[in-house]
Amino acid sequence: MSELELALARLGGEVDYPEAPDLVGPVRRRLAEGRRPMAWRRPFVIALAALLVAVAAVMAVPQARSQILDWFGIGSVTIRYVDDLPKVEKTQEDLALGERVSLADARERAQFGIEVPTIEGLEDPDVYQGRLGQVSFLYGSEEDPRLLITQIIGTGALEKLLSQETTVERVRVGPAEGAWLEGGEHVLFFPSTGPESQRLVGNTLLLQREDGVTVRIEADISKREAVRIFRSMR
Amino acid sequence: MVGRPLTEAELVERARRGDQDAYGELVHAYQGIAFRTAYLLTGNAADAEDAAQDAFVKAFYALGRFRRGAELRPWLLRIVANEARNRRRSAGRRGNLALRAAAAIPSGGAAPSPETSVLDAERSSTLLEAVNGLRDEEREVVACRYFLELSEEEAAETLGLRKGTVKSRLSRGLAHLRERLEVDDV
Repeated sequence: MSELELALARLGGEVDYPEAPDLVGPVRRRLAEGRRPMAWRRPFVIALAALLVAVAAVMAVPQARSQILDWFGIGSVTIRYVDDLPKVEKTQEDLALGERVSLADARERAQFGIEVPTIEGLEDPDVYQGRLGQVSFLYGSEEDPRLLITQIIGTGALEKLLSQETTVERVRVGPAEGAWLEGGEHVLFFPSTGPESQRLVGNTLLLQREDGVTVRIEADISKREAVRIFRSMR
Repeated sequence: MVGRPLTEAELVERARRGDQDAYGELVHAYQGIAFRTAYLLTGNAADAEDAAQDAFVKAFYALGRFRRGAELRPWLLRIVANEARNRRRSAGRRGNLALRAAAAIPSGGAAPSPETSVLDAERSSTLLEAVNGLRDEEREVVACRYFLELSEEEAAETLGLRKGTVKSRLSRGLAHLRERLEVDDV
């Protein structure tokens, strides 16, 4: 250990920490109160994962399909406006991202070129490989996700249901085309694999790259920030 | 008859099944380092307390996904660090760390001369100022390694980084500190 490192270790004992509060009581009180809806308490959260048992039923019934007002596709994602989003009946926190893998493994297995954001200050993400070959970069944690970037190739692999409160703005970033979805609630799910992967998401930038890969950037951030992240991907 | 204290793994198992008494013991054991971690990342006592409290509540509900046999401390600290970073971003800034008033007076041994105390205090103050001036990503790893005395593996887990990234940020942080201090070694 160098002199500087020794000095830093000594300095650690000299930092003026405020007196640590007793957290046992407050934490136990909150646990006794039960769970609050997480989405109301986390400004930077992607939004809580939700299990929408009703969605599959809605999509399966012809009358319900008639309520779909409009739809369009961006790469692997079909976006549909609906009169009413299906009611969220119970929640889960598992983001259903698949298997945790190294970036090298994900690159070896993927059928497309995986790009990584290079914005300074963004920590290394946890990398997951899930159904249909989707690769996800999770920043934060599954307990507390702050930013989720997913890449997938193919058509119609995912569906998004939008309420009327969600605004959709067409976006073009260089050769990539797509949309910015903001506000309201929208629901993402895999139509081929059932309801376990349905969840509510936050603001989303959806872009299809020239190579056919659809990139989703989900977080409670502005369009400008999301585009900046997309532009930095190499 | 007094039973033996439960091990951490036993407490975790009980807490996983919803035993809030067992979880309270875990909170008691880790609240100090959780608060210090949050404080080092936010530089603000109120934010640190909120972050640590929220993190413990979230961790309780996430215990089902805690891998059996893994180290609990870095897993908990990662949740704390995420909460603290969220608050730092919301606030748009972080507070600077300060020295304890009595920091220059070593405990035990012969009392230093007044001149020595002043020099020590100045050195500590200069070094802490330099640490405060580091970029967030470098200050975080420096604080985790030297102030919280976490291993590189624990620092990596806590900050959600790879070990190699911790090493490189630490190396850059130390280089920047040396530049700021304008000496080869303190």
